[in-house]
Amino acid sequence: MDVERPVAVEVSNLSKHYGSVVALNGVDLKVYAGEYFVLLGPSGGGKTTLLRTIGGFLRPTAGRVLLHGRDVSDLPPDKRPTSMVFQGYALFPHMTVAGNVGYGLSLARLPKEEIRAKTGAMLEMVGLKGLGERKPHELSGGQQQRVQLARSLVLDRDILLLDEPLASLDAKLRKDMCLELKHLQEKVGITFLHVTHNQEEAMTVADRIALIVNGELVEQGSAREIYEAPKKRFTASFVGENNLLDGVVASVSGDTVLVDVGAGTIAVGRGDLSLAQGDTVAVSIQSELLQIASGPEVGDDRHSLTGAYRETVYLGLTTSHRVTLANGAELTVRVISDAGADATPAPGAEVRVQWKPGAARLHID
Amino acid sequence: MQDEYGNKWAYRLKWAYLLLIVFTLMSPVFYVMYISFNENGFGAAEYVFTLEWYAVIFTDRLMMNALSWTLALASATTAITVPLALLAAKFYKATSRKVLTVFLLLSPLFVASDILGSALLVYFKNLNRAFGALGDMLGVGWFSGWFDLGFTTALIGLVIYTLPYAFIVILITMGRYREQQTEAARACGASGWRAFWDIEFPQIRAGVFSAGAFCVILSFNEYTRTSLLKGGFDTFTTVLVSQMLNEGMSEQSYAMSSLVSFIAIAVIGAIILYTLLKSEALAREARAKAQPLMAE
Amino acid sequence: MASPTEGDTGRPGWAAGVGGRSLLGRLQRWAFYLPVIFLVVFFALPLALTAVWSVFERTQFWMEPGFTLFAYENFFTSARLGNFLSSMYHSLIAVLICLVLGFPIAVFVRRRIPQVAQHRVVLLFILPFMVSEIIRIFALRPVLQRNGLVNDTLIQLGVISEPITSILYTPLGVIIGEVMSFLPFIVFSGFLAMEAIPKYIFEICEDLGASTFRTFRDVILPLAAPGIFAGSVFIFVNGIGVALLPNILGGPGAVNAGLIATQAIAALDFPLAMAISAIMMGTLMLLLYIGHRLFDLTRILDPIS
Repeated sequence: MDVERPVAVEVSNLSKHYGSVVALNGVDLKVYAGEYFVLLGPSGGGKTTLLRTIGGFLRPTAGRVLLHGRDVSDLPPDKRPTSMVFQGYALFPHMTVAGNVGYGLSLARLPKEEIRAKTGAMLEMVGLKGLGERKPHELSGGQQQRVQLARSLVLDRDILLLDEPLASLDAKLRKDMCLELKHLQEKVGITFLHVTHNQEEAMTVADRIALIVNGELVEQGSAREIYEAPKKRFTASFVGENNLLDGVVASVSGDTVLVDVGAGTIAVGRGDLSLAQGDTVAVSIQSELLQIASGPEVGDDRHSLTGAYRETVYLGLTTSHRVTLANGAELTVRVISDAGADATPAPGAEVRVQWKPGAARLHID
Repeated sequence: MQDEYGNKWAYRLKWAYLLLIVFTLMSPVFYVMYISFNENGFGAAEYVFTLEWYAVIFTDRLMMNALSWTLALASATTAITVPLALLAAKFYKATSRKVLTVFLLLSPLFVASDILGSALLVYFKNLNRAFGALGDMLGVGWFSGWFDLGFTTALIGLVIYTLPYAFIVILITMGRYREQQTEAARACGASGWRAFWDIEFPQIRAGVFSAGAFCVILSFNEYTRTSLLKGGFDTFTTVLVSQMLNEGMSEQSYAMSSLVSFIAIAVIGAIILYTLLKSEALAREARAKAQPLMAE
Repeated sequence: MASPTEGDTGRPGWAAGVGGRSLLGRLQRWAFYLPVIFLVVFFALPLALTAVWSVFERTQFWMEPGFTLFAYENFFTSARLGNFLSSMYHSLIAVLICLVLGFPIAVFVRRRIPQVAQHRVVLLFILPFMVSEIIRIFALRPVLQRNGLVNDTLIQLGVISEPITSILYTPLGVIIGEVMSFLPFIVFSGFLAMEAIPKYIFEICEDLGASTFRTFRDVILPLAAPGIFAGSVFIFVNGIGVALLPNILGGPGAVNAGLIATQAIAALDFPLAMAISAIMMGTLMLLLYIGHRLFDLTRILDPIS
């Protein structure tokens, strides 16, 4: 039995309505102290709303926000033990970098010497040593985000909220900053709560990820859990490149479920779902776990489907093969590109797509 | 973005027309200024340049007295209107009933000065009576004469007059301000007022001062509402008008009018110039932001 | 509709984050309502009450609460009505002249002048406004009168031999005064209305080969209509409301609603003054309502909000 880990952020039945529009619908969430937690989801899905409610910039319509066990739902942002990094334009343009970083400390009326020392130390920690006297507009995008980090971290608070902090950076810079964020969090040891719509970013930094869609918490878990074993159909459709097949339960025997997906019947592990014949289900398989079979079907193989080869898409690292099934559904098979291209099937040729038992996953919603 | 294939001469013609209209609108004022420098006053055959009428202004007791009242009114109006306009702009940004709010705030523009002045005059008289009756009932003399026609009532009329203008100027200035900065300041621990004063105000300062200058000039120039509501004392505009209507414009009136107009034009010209220079600096900054240093 | 990236709407105090649950905190939040309260108490209320006062009975120095339509009867049956209506007619002409002279300027600035300079050019039209209206109106006398600037110049240039007397102390003089006083407002409101039109619309029009007239009629006019209407209402209402115009420029017997009202007050006939005010307010409300139904005046605010 684990020892109870301390909870840094807890959200209990949290709802936020704008008139008739529901931005958050009864969300329950726990973030443990010292973890790097990511809120992932499509734009407009509510993850930013959730973050801002935790930060105090929005007032909940119902439910509570607890920070370190204390109900802070009525407190404004300046009274909460959180600090925040924004997407962009959040540095004070009329102050120097040092002025920006030291602002919170000057509000706390710390002596000037202490402010200077702490500011200097923090700038060095985020890799901006010597840039204290510059103005924000003289810095690059990446540097500006580091100033924001410095400004938030220097306050020595336990919870750091990050609202799409890397969204305005270009792809290469984003990758580098991701790792830096991760290392920074490991070094400082406080709780990071990070919002993004970018999967790769989420997987790079997160200890745990929560998927927020349409104002609801769809699923949460570690990066590996979400990627390899998604429970909900939506998670499978959003994270990674999965093939989704909708179907009906043909029969259940023990731990195996036979599902009629329209283009054939396949076998899937039941997991801990309880199902009956006729139930509507969905099956997902990671595109990198599919193979184009070389030989004919062996016996009553419930781990393959037949279709017509459609096209090849070369993407550098991977090559995608698209196959159209008998009922019109499409399967994507992803392989690491071979140096010398094998004979790819001709478009329209009949191919069999197969997978190992256990690769397919079952979802009821 | 200019029309590369456009007709250059059509462009120049239209510019000329624009400047002609501006000049025509200003021409009576220029003419008055022209007269004010004439030793022989208006209509005289000979034109002798002199500054003596401007000197006479400062010895004209009536004029000086009126000027001081006007200055007091203008300062008081600005001191009240600008904060109110700031509050109103913040209110407008935050409220969900935007149409109603802006309608209320801008409607003084659509009510003619005489109409508003008359209505307020009757309103104040009635308020005085009501408060007086209330005072009698309670046996206190405290309420009497709050709204006697005088400085306060003129002030109220001027605040109503200038508020829409200040509101628009401040709102437009605030349009360039990013709310995230206030939020970032809050996240650093600043209260609402601190965040405004430390972060937002320095960035909208120019707009606030422009709104203030605007208020001063508008109050200085206002006639109808002031004359109806001011009670006993004289202001710059009422002295001018009573002179104009009775004796015709005296030479120092021409000088006075020219002086005030000149100052007002100079102030606005300075503001326009300042924003011109500022926008050059801002454009440089914006270019720097758009192409950040490649060295990471 | 609020988006999650904005602060909490509907609660200005919370968004600014002032105060807490203390009484002082609550008071601080209510401070944001001050401008609205001020305007309601000292603007909306007095104007609304003019309707009430207009039916009071007139006494020698003041009025008695009561209900009588005497003031209205007085107004509608006297010669004042005729003057009132003709002042409306003249104001309308002034509006049309302002539109014809001023709106093309707004279009020109919007279309042909670089974006960054547009505001500054429009600001040029504030300059006349910086001079007191009384000075501007009075200054027209030495310009328009018999031996004034205009006549002198024209006679010297040999265009005319006799001075023109019909441009001052006549309705034409009033119209000229109105146009000179209020033309900038058409430029402002027309420009503001067109700021809502993105520049690429004009590029599309040219691309499609639309003539100037077609562009004007089908694109500019409908999109700028709310602004044009608002500016026109402003000029119209001020034209019939500002007493100085007919007083100084109009000649003997010239009046408009504003002058009638001020004269009534000078004569201590308060119900009549209030009746005029009430009629003016009613006219204004009616015009704004019609305009809103036709053009949706809220569109003017798009550049600002």
